[in-house]
Amino acid sequence: MAMNNIFSALCAILGDAGRWLRGRAAALLSFAAADHPYVYLSGSALSLAAALTYIFSQRYGFFLSRPLWVWTALALCGAFCLASLAALASKLRLKRRYRAGSRFCAPAARRAARYGSYVIWTVAALTLADRLHVLYQVVREVMAMDTNPSPFFQAMVYMFYNSRALFLRGLWTTLRLAFFGTIFGFLLAVGLVFLRIQTPSKRDWDHVKLIKILCSRFAALYATVVRGTPMMLQAFIIYYAGFGLFKGHTDLTITEINTIWSFFIAGLTTVSLNSAAYLSEVLRGGVESIDAGQTEAARSLGMSSWMTMMKVVFPQALKNSIPAIGNEMIINIKDSSVLNCIGVVELMYAATSVAGIYYKNLPNYVSAAIIYLIMTCCISAILNKLSARLSLNTYRGVPSSN
Amino acid sequence: MEPILSIQGLEKSFGPLKVLKGIDLDVQKGEVVCIIGASGSGKSTLLRCLNLLEEPDSGHIWFGGQDLTDLDADLDGLRQRIGMVFQGFNLFNNKNVLDNCTLAPISVKHIPRAQAEETAIHHLRTVGLGEFIHADSRRLSGGQKQRVAIARALCMEPEIMLFDEPTSALDPEIVGEVLDVMKTLAREGMTMVVVTHEMAFAKEVSDRVVFMDQGVILEQGTPAEVFGSPREARTREFLSRYLEDKGI
Ligand SMILES: Nc1ncnc2c1ncn2[C@@H]1O[C@H](COP(=O)(O)OP(=O)(O)OP(=O)(O)O)[C@@H](O)[C@H]1O
Ligand SMILES: [Mg+2]
Repeated sequence: MAMNNIFSALCAILGDAGRWLRGRAAALLSFAAADHPYVYLSGSALSLAAALTYIFSQRYGFFLSRPLWVWTALALCGAFCLASLAALASKLRLKRRYRAGSRFCAPAARRAARYGSYVIWTVAALTLADRLHVLYQVVREVMAMDTNPSPFFQAMVYMFYNSRALFLRGLWTTLRLAFFGTIFGFLLAVGLVFLRIQTPSKRDWDHVKLIKILCSRFAALYATVVRGTPMMLQAFIIYYAGFGLFKGHTDLTITEINTIWSFFIAGLTTVSLNSAAYLSEVLRGGVESIDAGQTEAARSLGMSSWMTMMKVVFPQALKNSIPAIGNEMIINIKDSSVLNCIGVVELMYAATSVAGIYYKNLPNYVSAAIIYLIMTCCISAILNKLSARLSLNTYRGVPSSN
Repeated sequence: MEPILSIQGLEKSFGPLKVLKGIDLDVQKGEVVCIIGASGSGKSTLLRCLNLLEEPDSGHIWFGGQDLTDLDADLDGLRQRIGMVFQGFNLFNNKNVLDNCTLAPISVKHIPRAQAEETAIHHLRTVGLGEFIHADSRRLSGGQKQRVAIARALCMEPEIMLFDEPTSALDPEIVGEVLDVMKTLAREGMTMVVVTHEMAFAKEVSDRVVFMDQGVILEQGTPAEVFGSPREARTREFLSRYLEDKGI
């Protein structure tokens, strides 16, 4: 009994303490967030970064002596820190009246802070320019070397430069795989989705009902199988199945088969069949997202279900699916990397080969990662532009008088 | 006179729910029939059966000498002759106003584009949308959309028009603009079957009012008969509650 009382009293005290603490913390946070001239803090951080860059780097640049530059940056950092501290002190002293009463909030102080930020901006820009210059110099030096240097970055540049033909070939193949794979995949997906959405109606003849059911089941099964197995495995199966077909049913020699059913063709087939499954799901979602009312309206006008699909539903579904189709292309850029398993010389294969030549893995894989990143960023930028253009078109039909 | 549309013993269930329990109704050419009744009484279902958007379970729908419920009937051909206007407008979102109206005439009746456009512009002018011919159909107001939908149906030159609560989704202020168009149509002699909650419209325009209750036609007659001296207690109840709800 007594224990219980003590326990509940303790709980109450702890609860109160917790509430009080939380209240204080919230007050402190809102105090910190209110009206603080963060330009001082960010300015000091930027100039500190500029100074540190020169303290820790082995190379320095083209336009100033290193100590002078470091000291300038440090002094700037110090000045901004001091200003920040002074502002904080004034804020603590004035509390709520800070905004109205402090000199740090006066227009003159704001103007001074703005000019200070220009100085910081200049320092940062010059530092960046200098670093880029250094980078350029390093790259030039590495390109002239004839042995693999040991520092990471230099080694990366050296190997990339000296194996650039292989890397570029890989890049080109990756791009082709992704681009054509998505296009063929899309065309197949259109076919698949038409099979998929077949639904037998009471008025169909029996054999038509059967065909419709079979079609839709087949398309569903296809999507399930492809989406439920790894693409690497699909690549193996497609490659060896194709090879087996040629070998079993033609009298071509193995070299001849390898030119017809090349790794690239097998890889492209894999990407296309894989994308077809994913895109058919995307398109089906697009078709289902068009409200049934439009279909009913079209049917009530006497349009056949095929015509309704072609003229009303599918164009809208397609348009809604465009972002997802672009996404699939970006996914294909990355996922085509698994095709190195069947020997398609795409970017991943290139990176692995170069790593094997030099017995150095990490720098080459980082190179490959950077190239993949550049590719995906560029493509998604292009796609964004395109889809923005497309949705702009829908605003063309503003009411016009006649 | 031979009715243009003749419904015999129409029944329809959704799963266990029997929505239409044997409907018989004849519509004469040029007649305007308004169907009224409580929510859930099967008005929309009946109307949607008339052009086979819903497949009835049993019964017959004779239209122009053909039975629509016959499994071998040329549905698309018959539907071309039956216009329908929906509560939710259902315009084609990927087409502008003019293309909404010309799509079906061009693609199913194979009318040359120029001629189809001429007809469409004529009908759009009659519904008062001559200035919106090239407008994006998504950017119109509800009343404008519904008038486009009416024009779209008219472009097929139907012999009969079905309206399913064409003004229910509209703001009260713009109900009038749609009703006016329908009144004009009625005056021009169009055969119309209208499901509506606009009692004033039904009173003014219709030749016959049909009261539906729980899947059957409980009572029908001229507006004066049905509104003035309803025979069935259920009709009286519906009408009085309806007028109360409307605050009339
Ligand atoms: N596709 C459907 N599937 C299942 N039930 C349905 C379907 N369509 C309608 N119903 C049901 O059938 C009954 C009649 O519906 P209907 O739409 O014909 O009524 P209504 O008279 O038009 O009513 P309202 O005035 O609200 O439009 C309702 O109970 C409804 O829930
Ligand atoms: Mg209804």
